[in-house]
Amino acid sequence: MPDFFINGQPVHAEKGETVMQAALAAGFYIPYFCWHPYLSVAGNCRVCVVEVEGEGGGSSWSDIACNMPVSEGMRVLTDSESVREQRKQTLQFILLNHPVDCGICDKAGECMLQDHHYAYNGEPSISTVPKVKATKYVELSDRIVLDNERCIVCSRCVRFTREISKSHGLAIQNRGDHSLVRASEDGRFNTDPYSDNVVDICPVGALLSRQFLHKARVWYLQATPSVCPGCARGCTVNLWHRKREWKLNALDPRQNTEIARVTPLENPAVNGPWICNKGRDLGQVFGRPRALQPMLKGREVSPDEAAAAARALISESGRPVALVSSWGANEELTAFKQALGDRFTCFVKRDCLPAAGEVVEDELLIRADKNPNTATAQQLFGSAPLTFPDGTDLVLVWGEGFDFTAVPRGARLIVLGSYLAPENGHADVFVPISIQTERAGHYTNFAGVTSHFAPLFAKPRHVVHAEEFFARLTVTAGIA
Amino acid sequence: MSASGRPEALDPERQAQRESPINAPNLPSMRHLQPEFEALKKRYPAGFQSSLTLPCLRRIQEVRGFVADQDIDWLVEYLGVPRVQIEEVLTFYTQFRREPIGRWHVQTCRNVSCSMRGAERLIDHLSRKLGVKIGETTPDGRFTLSVVECLGSCGTAPVVMVNDTYHENMDAARIDALLESLK
Amino acid sequence: MTGRQLIMDFPVTATSHLLADYQARGGYQTLRKVLTTLKPEDVTKEVTAAGVLGHGGAAFPVGRKWAVVKLDDGQPHYLCANADEGEPGTFKDRWILEHAPHLLLESMLMTCYALQVRNCFVYIRGEFDQPYRRLQAAVEEAYAAGYFGENILGTGFACDIVVYRGAGSYVCGEASALITSIEGKKGYPRNRPPRLTVRGLYQRPTVINNVETLSNVAIIMRMGAEEFRKVGKPKSPGTQLVSISGHVNKPGVYEVEYGYPLAKFIYEDCGGVLAGRGLKCIIPGGISTKVMTAKDIEGVTYDHKSMEAAGSQVGSGGMVVIAEGTCMVRLLHVMLRFYHHESCGQCTPCREGMGWMHRIIERIVRGEGQPGDIDALVRISNANDGTTICGMGDAAGYATVGIIAKYRDEFEYYIANKRSKCEGRLEVETAHA
Repeated sequence: MPDFFINGQPVHAEKGETVMQAALAAGFYIPYFCWHPYLSVAGNCRVCVVEVEGEGGGSSWSDIACNMPVSEGMRVLTDSESVREQRKQTLQFILLNHPVDCGICDKAGECMLQDHHYAYNGEPSISTVPKVKATKYVELSDRIVLDNERCIVCSRCVRFTREISKSHGLAIQNRGDHSLVRASEDGRFNTDPYSDNVVDICPVGALLSRQFLHKARVWYLQATPSVCPGCARGCTVNLWHRKREWKLNALDPRQNTEIARVTPLENPAVNGPWICNKGRDLGQVFGRPRALQPMLKGREVSPDEAAAAARALISESGRPVALVSSWGANEELTAFKQALGDRFTCFVKRDCLPAAGEVVEDELLIRADKNPNTATAQQLFGSAPLTFPDGTDLVLVWGEGFDFTAVPRGARLIVLGSYLAPENGHADVFVPISIQTERAGHYTNFAGVTSHFAPLFAKPRHVVHAEEFFARLTVTAGIA
Repeated sequence: MSASGRPEALDPERQAQRESPINAPNLPSMRHLQPEFEALKKRYPAGFQSSLTLPCLRRIQEVRGFVADQDIDWLVEYLGVPRVQIEEVLTFYTQFRREPIGRWHVQTCRNVSCSMRGAERLIDHLSRKLGVKIGETTPDGRFTLSVVECLGSCGTAPVVMVNDTYHENMDAARIDALLESLK
Repeated sequence: MTGRQLIMDFPVTATSHLLADYQARGGYQTLRKVLTTLKPEDVTKEVTAAGVLGHGGAAFPVGRKWAVVKLDDGQPHYLCANADEGEPGTFKDRWILEHAPHLLLESMLMTCYALQVRNCFVYIRGEFDQPYRRLQAAVEEAYAAGYFGENILGTGFACDIVVYRGAGSYVCGEASALITSIEGKKGYPRNRPPRLTVRGLYQRPTVINNVETLSNVAIIMRMGAEEFRKVGKPKSPGTQLVSISGHVNKPGVYEVEYGYPLAKFIYEDCGGVLAGRGLKCIIPGGISTKVMTAKDIEGVTYDHKSMEAAGSQVGSGGMVVIAEGTCMVRLLHVMLRFYHHESCGQCTPCREGMGWMHRIIERIVRGEGQPGDIDALVRISNANDGTTICGMGDAAGYATVGIIAKYRDEFEYYIANKRSKCEGRLEVETAHA
């Protein structure tokens, strides 16, 4: 029994749904700007207008779909002549004062205004009056820049700060076509740890990331799904990097292996469509100078030599202790358990602790545990705090965040790490290992949800994948 | 992008205003009005603190002549409303201002009936007589000239509102006499 | 006399607005009768039977609006009197606020009783300082006399009132913007659904009625619905306060019984057009109502059906008289400048459209009009019709379309000749000029 009809097709709606929600769920697209599935209905852009056929010979009427409750048997048209005409007019209104500076606007290629314009209007502006000027490149915060001329005053950003991040950091001041999005004067937008989400939800190029500003055209980039390692929430993200076919040969080739930007990968089970600002800066985390060469006490060797030396240390050790990385992927942790779990006394290390000034935990996404895979690590190796048993003579440190002054006197040191650090040169054996962006894997978050990450780049030549390397450290009886 | 390539500062006008001595932190506080506001609350139902935003702002402006940054900070604390709400209210309604104006705010209606009974000539006359453009204040700080929309007094057009008072059936002679009387 | 007088039925003196005078005229006796002998539903029934329509411009049947509020639903209800009166040409509610505030208060008390409202509001525009003082003084008189507060007249009925001052925004006269303003925010109108009578002030059922509309409640409860219906016309019972201004000899507020001949009202009761000029047209009830030429008003009676049949509306009762020789292009410019100034900016068609229309007509008036401008104004008007969050966009469109429909030649002339057909005249010479 259908609830109502869209373009003649029967559609089922859940109780309390609007026509917009039911239509999208049933696969019908109704264009919109101000509506967002996770925000309250504003109903101000007027683009999602649909026509409803009159009942019993009455005349039809139109209204916005985002605020239209579904009523039993109603007959909705999403693409009638009148709807198309109204949409065109609304798009002309939006175009009236829009600068149409796509040529220098970061949003080009992923702009809802461009998309809707091509799909539903396709004509140049019919205006014969000059455009209203407004402020461009307003520093809304340290991270976000605002262009008021491009802004279509849809209020998504304001609603976000009111309903989701609850920073109340943004407002729309003045009225009429002098309306301007502004940050509140107490600077709350600047300290909003979720501020960058407004860049994603802004349907046009009004709100832009300052770190991404003018860095790359989005059509030269591709998005690879990954998991943010910034905390135990494990938000799924898209890591954007240069498409292979758009590889840069001239200019700085490092641009080919950099993360250009990070956006949320929508995940109803974990983070919805949001991530915090820390996740936005993953490019800097992964882009830190890398350890590229295995070493024995600072002397560069091949991976095979390093493996052999490590095996020797392990076989002669009476009391080996391992600090297991909570940034290890499920696959890596399992491999460690299999290869070395019996040989070593293992403790799970929290590679990262909250930094000074960092939000520790909140009600939205941020978790106090600043590591992506403590769950699996503790499941495999327990959650006992680190205490070196008496007679510890070998310490294997996997990952970051270990205070090397705590190594018991006289114990030998095997370090497996990704980034350049002074300790690397002091370790008896140092092995550089790959980072998350160089392999596929999974993390399990604090709530037990497992998410997958895919590789972006090839690993550097003499860097090893930890998952395979652990097996090479297994010492079976009698074999050195 | 400005010539230096740096993004332009937020709202330069507002920046200048904030740095001006008018908004100095040593302005007298308006917190002595709190008992009045508490008394107002009595006629409102419980949970209506947010509603007090407009009456409190109006009263503060009545006393101070404008709403200062510290007044906003105080109301945020006192009413428990987000700062953005007050900032929006102050920019949305024409009667609120965040900087002082002349002692006498001469507001001339320029809407339909007033224009039909001589408001345009009156506005020109005022502008010439006071020697200011619309929106400006006389150098001696006495008069600020504004044009406003319909004041709801169309039967006695043209109407000029000076501060809170309607002056009806105005013409050049009567406005001259009025200005003379306002010290 | 412009028909029977129900509201303006007493001579205005220096004290006629005070409680003592109001009570001497019989004031608050009906309140006593209602609170002590009637149930809340009885009041709604009477008001519905009277068939009284809203006097704010929309002419919605009052009883039908009230009926949506469910009594005994366990949640607070609110009543707001709309005293924002920002519609250009309209100043008739001001008469009630200044001269008959207790009529409004007594009516509001009865309405609160009918709708189980514990807290009511009068939203008065910020500029109305003198009317505010009159009203606030009346409120204090009423409290002192025990008509507000707890246990009113010993009946257990309790009611508090707040006179809430606006701060300069025409759009706050729109019902949903009005309550958002009372919530302490900027006056952004709201989308419907939900209706305000279901979720209004702080998301509670709220009734918003115009000041004059509410003032009729005490009158209806005093004389009874049947007697009330004898005044006016069947589809337009009662009277309308009309504020008339512009090129008219006797501007002011008049109470006009519905059904009264419109031409007679203008030419006789209001003294006709200034300086003996001919009548060009009138704006009958607020600037969004379609202009009616001198010919259009012939034979028209002042009531809803007749005005609609003549192609216009009763509207807000704000009537503007326009003499022959007035430049309609310049007049529309004044109106569009107003709408542009007052647009709240929330929805696309109005936010962009008001500025657009204003800039076009400004260009025409400057002598730089282009041939496509008239059609552009009409197209923008139509694109605002029924597509906006509130009626303001529509209103600007109706004003524009109405004036262009009747006076297209003036616009064409202005564009072709770069000057007004009527010498840009908005004023008319008076005896003094």
